[in-house]
Amino acid sequence: MDGKLRAPVDMVGVSKSYGGVHAVREVDFSIRPGEVHALLGENGAGKSTLMKVLSGEVSGYRGEIRIGAEPVALGSPLAARRAGIAMIHQELDLVPALSIAENVWLGREPRTRLRTVDLRRMVGETAGLLARTGVRLDPRRPVEQLRTGEQQLVTIAKALSLDARILIMDEPTSALSGREVEQLFAVIGELRRAGTGIVYISHRMDEIGRVADRATVLRNGRVVAEFDARSMTAEQASEAMVGRPLHLMFRTGADRSPSRTAPASDTAGSDTAGSDAAGSDDSGADTGAAELLRVTDLVVVPRRPRAGRREPAGISLRVRRGEIVGLAGLLGSGRTELLETLFGVGSRGRWGGQVLLAGRSIRPSDPRRALRLGMAFVPEDRRVAGLALEHSVLTNTVLSVVARIAKLGVVSRATEQSLTRRITERLSVKLASVHSPVGALSGGNQQKVVLGRGLLTEPKLLLLDDPTRGVDVGAKAEIYQLLGEIARQGVGVLLASSEPAELVGVCDRVVVLSDGRSVRELDTARVSEAELLAAAIGTPTGAGAGRDLALGAGG
Amino acid sequence: MSEQTRAPADVPPVGTDSGTATGPDASAEQLPGRGARLTEALFKFQSLFGLVLVFVAAVAFSPSRGGELVFLDSQNLFNVVRSISEIGILAVGMTLVILIGGIDLSVGSVLGLASVGAATLLMNNDVGVAVMAAAVLAIGLGFGLLQGFASARFGIQAFIVTLAGMQIARGLARIWSGGQGISITYGDGPGQAPVLFSLLGERTFNGLVPIPALIFIVIAALAVVLLRVSAFSRHVYAIGGNEKAARLSGVPVTRVKIIVFGICGLLAALAGIVHAGQLNFGAPNDGAMYELDAIAAVVIGGTSLMGGRGSVVGTVAGALLVGVLRNILALNNIDSNIQLLIIGLVIVLAAGLQRLRPASVSS
Repeated sequence: MDGKLRAPVDMVGVSKSYGGVHAVREVDFSIRPGEVHALLGENGAGKSTLMKVLSGEVSGYRGEIRIGAEPVALGSPLAARRAGIAMIHQELDLVPALSIAENVWLGREPRTRLRTVDLRRMVGETAGLLARTGVRLDPRRPVEQLRTGEQQLVTIAKALSLDARILIMDEPTSALSGREVEQLFAVIGELRRAGTGIVYISHRMDEIGRVADRATVLRNGRVVAEFDARSMTAEQASEAMVGRPLHLMFRTGADRSPSRTAPASDTAGSDTAGSDAAGSDDSGADTGAAELLRVTDLVVVPRRPRAGRREPAGISLRVRRGEIVGLAGLLGSGRTELLETLFGVGSRGRWGGQVLLAGRSIRPSDPRRALRLGMAFVPEDRRVAGLALEHSVLTNTVLSVVARIAKLGVVSRATEQSLTRRITERLSVKLASVHSPVGALSGGNQQKVVLGRGLLTEPKLLLLDDPTRGVDVGAKAEIYQLLGEIARQGVGVLLASSEPAELVGVCDRVVVLSDGRSVRELDTARVSEAELLAAAIGTPTGAGAGRDLALGAGG
Repeated sequence: MSEQTRAPADVPPVGTDSGTATGPDASAEQLPGRGARLTEALFKFQSLFGLVLVFVAAVAFSPSRGGELVFLDSQNLFNVVRSISEIGILAVGMTLVILIGGIDLSVGSVLGLASVGAATLLMNNDVGVAVMAAAVLAIGLGFGLLQGFASARFGIQAFIVTLAGMQIARGLARIWSGGQGISITYGDGPGQAPVLFSLLGERTFNGLVPIPALIFIVIAALAVVLLRVSAFSRHVYAIGGNEKAARLSGVPVTRVKIIVFGICGLLAALAGIVHAGQLNFGAPNDGAMYELDAIAAVVIGGTSLMGGRGSVVGTVAGALLVGVLRNILALNNIDSNIQLLIIGLVIVLAAGLQRLRPASVSS
């Protein structure tokens, strides 16, 4: 692409569905030269799909894409690249074992006269690109040695090298530090002056206000609103994304509390990293009967530390029967790792501190034991860790109990069908047949199947890791309602979430994690969403501190 | 095609989304017509369809002798089953291993080891058939369990573990036999095998069904039932479908994997005993490449090498398909090298068909 042919790109009436589920429908979206167009929407709203259509990663879309007035067919990444469209992915698509330079020039390595790879030129040009992104790295270093933020900058350098007419950035700042973000914004300014059109996907309203010209909001695969990005308020955008006033979303049913009533002073036992951080206003003189889970100074020192994991480094919290406790914190604060540790699937290694379940000291080392102890876990990514997508709703639903309901190893069809019907009806899973592949259901209904599987084990404690991620609004509200019901029946719920509104709306209390430690505890009866946000931000972390509540990954 | 789930043949497709989310036009989905249902059945039972096709072709191209079609002669048909019985038994075990997303390259060597074991124990150690069978089956089971343990417990890929196992079993077979084949002779005296064992060679059940074919049929039937009704099979499919999800759901992943490899080793040993009986010979070098024939039968049967999808019914049909194909080509005196080409094409065709399988067809 010669960099001079700057023309607007229009997507007209674009639709794309996966196995009967519409990811985007009849979307009109345009990018003008020299413009930054923000794309907003909840997880699963269709942002990534829309951009994958534009970058040629998905084929078989309907509708038309025009460059200038010229219709183009973008069925492959190569076609998109020829058309001058490049995308920076949220999940970094780098080859770990190759060097920075090799990654940047992958598939289009400069050649010498002898047709061998011109290493010197490759390294030299990469150094120049890296300098533009403001990072000082040796282009010969393998990518696997870099921090995530540095890797993100490498992908940006790679995108720059393409000299694209349209550059799509999918949450480009999610792992960048404050200084790196400033540098990125400088690069964006430079690109814009050169006439590049930029699509900017982010959850961070402050960034969008600063960097974008226009904002388009997607909900359930449709365009629902368009704003002038500079005058748009966060409330406007949120309500457009959610599709209803925020206060109506989070109904769990009647007020359940025994738990909400009597916050007492901190006990001696939880003299933790968090107790000095103030606001630890809820805890109990309550003993045995009501207390279900008590975690005291939990520390995990992994035998083999893995990059990108934030192991528990001093977590104290408690969950009473019938209580929903939230886990808040920035991306990488250790929410997932805590839940995994409790369920026995965390990193192996040395433990410190204590976990009491119903008064018994436990140290779960595998999920079977955790299930026997009365815990159930709904993992973060249902497609990766929750479901066998090709298998039927029925087999997925009864998987945890199938050995228990079998007599002499033989499963009774009638029993498993009635169990599946009962739980799918209770969770109002919308399905044609319990024998349909679970992958054909919508995200929300898939999530309900995972939840239903956990509930069939009749847990005392439910561990939920971002259970409404990629779930549509209607199913979200139903899941909240259900959590309320479960809690009223005396089940304790530990809910990790990246959405402050969800935490405030659904939970009785919220424990804020930072760098693997519990730093604050907030009573949601007394705290607003904004205050929760402030609490999470107010606790310094490494990268990106004080900037935002990194709201997980996008859909 | 799954043993456990019936096709949702008579129901409309799953709704696109929960009602509130998609609104009124959620009904805009296409309904499956008769064509869609036919496609679904075709993909779920592709090897059965293939078997029928090949069978019909075999009838059409069968040479006739005295007005009778040679192919349809019951003796010939049972010989087809006999000819695939060893591979078939291996393929049943292989199906289980592949369903959990694994592979077992050692079965051919274990078959060789077991045939040596059977011959040696009968001829040199003067043990009875029952003791011999118990010992050889135990060796196969143990070998499989060890491979499963190494793979599942230490997270080494099954391909590598069983590649090593393939060498080890072959080495053991040669050491045990002293590198020489051991002929089996029958009689009551010392140094002779009990006459009972000769059943596997020439004898037939009811004067018609060869004993090896009978053993294969029984094993296949047991496996079909096991995969249809047992909780164990749910765990097998779940591990292949999504191992991480299975683990988090409380499936004893490591244990199930070890057991599956154990079953595969056990069946390889059984096939080895059958092999020795059919040839009256313990052959340390036999069974080479059998693992690939077994994998071919599984693949033609529509089982996914990724795991989680497939069935023993498919595998049996796949093995029979190959057997019938070989038989009819041989009856028409077609060069055995050409047979190889044709079977190769069938494997590619079967695998290619599975790639076209629509997502709406549940496993």
